[in-house]
Amino acid sequence: MRKHHYKRNTEGEPELAVTTFLNLMVVLVPFLLITAVFSRLTIVELNLPSAAGGPTPQEIGFRPEVVVREAGIEVTNGGTVIAALPKVDGEYDLESLSNLMLALKQDYSEVEDMSVLLEPQIPYDWLIRVMDAVRTAEIPDPAAASGFTRVALFTAISVGEAP
Amino acid sequence: MQRLTRYRPRLQTIGLTSLMDVFTILVFFLLVNSGQSELLESPRQMVLPESVVEVKPRETVVIHVNAEEVIVQGEPVARVADILALNGGDVEPIMARLAELQDRVIGARTQSVAQSLEVTILADKEVPFIVVKQVMSTCTAQGYERISLAVVQKESLAGSVATTQI
Repeated sequence: MRKHHYKRNTEGEPELAVTTFLNLMVVLVPFLLITAVFSRLTIVELNLPSAAGGPTPQEIGFRPEVVVREAGIEVTNGGTVIAALPKVDGEYDLESLSNLMLALKQDYSEVEDMSVLLEPQIPYDWLIRVMDAVRTAEIPDPAAASGFTRVALFTAISVGEAP
Repeated sequence: MQRLTRYRPRLQTIGLTSLMDVFTILVFFLLVNSGQSELLESPRQMVLPESVVEVKPRETVVIHVNAEEVIVQGEPVARVADILALNGGDVEPIMARLAELQDRVIGARTQSVAQSLEVTILADKEVPFIVVKQVMSTCTAQGYERISLAVVQKESLAGSVATTQI
């Protein structure tokens, strides 16, 4: 009876020897999980005025500036203030800034330059966020798969200290 | 029927196939993911700002600015408090370190780094702007005229699409 039982068992599907492979997988998966980098780093390229060379000649008189102050954001055209966007709930009003930039770009479509000027104590994070709002804007586009399309605004951004 | 159930082997083999499938897919996914070797390592103790830019990092001189100190190519050179106290002007220790990087070229990698005349700044998002600005102006004074700021890529509404012109 017992012998018969053994025989029946071996008659079934031949088993694959997967244990070693499985061991390998079990080791590999945690190892790769630890080393995996899930946040991708990218870089923002700046358009800095060089210390040695002179200023680039400007044919176009319009040189917009975004000044980030403690109280809010000011947009100037080099001399006079075009718009002032006060803080909303302690945060800078980036949405209005984005809309304003979009409108400015439509008026001055040939202008690529923009200066972002910050007061000394503003956290660096705001520089990046303001630059994001100045560089590109996302506008609704029914043709795109995600419903939004990204447009370039002022891509040559200089950074400086607020006067 | 009674007999059949009685003689069923006690220890059934566990269904490993699905587990193996999962592991195999995971391993391949992670292998591909780690295959894109990172030129810039994301720093542990600092939080980088987020942005939607898609420009990949290049091999450059790397400057870390965290809450306490400034690290140029892996070597701490200046303290943030000192830079704040400096109140304008270039930061001497950073200049010295950048000049040293130019002089001391050891291998192909250090050479490409030194000759790029390019700086990537990884700064914590809470660092006051003036510190980053001082570091940048020091770099330009030392001849490093192309400066990039490292950020963590965030998802944008438009997804990863090409930027169009108006």
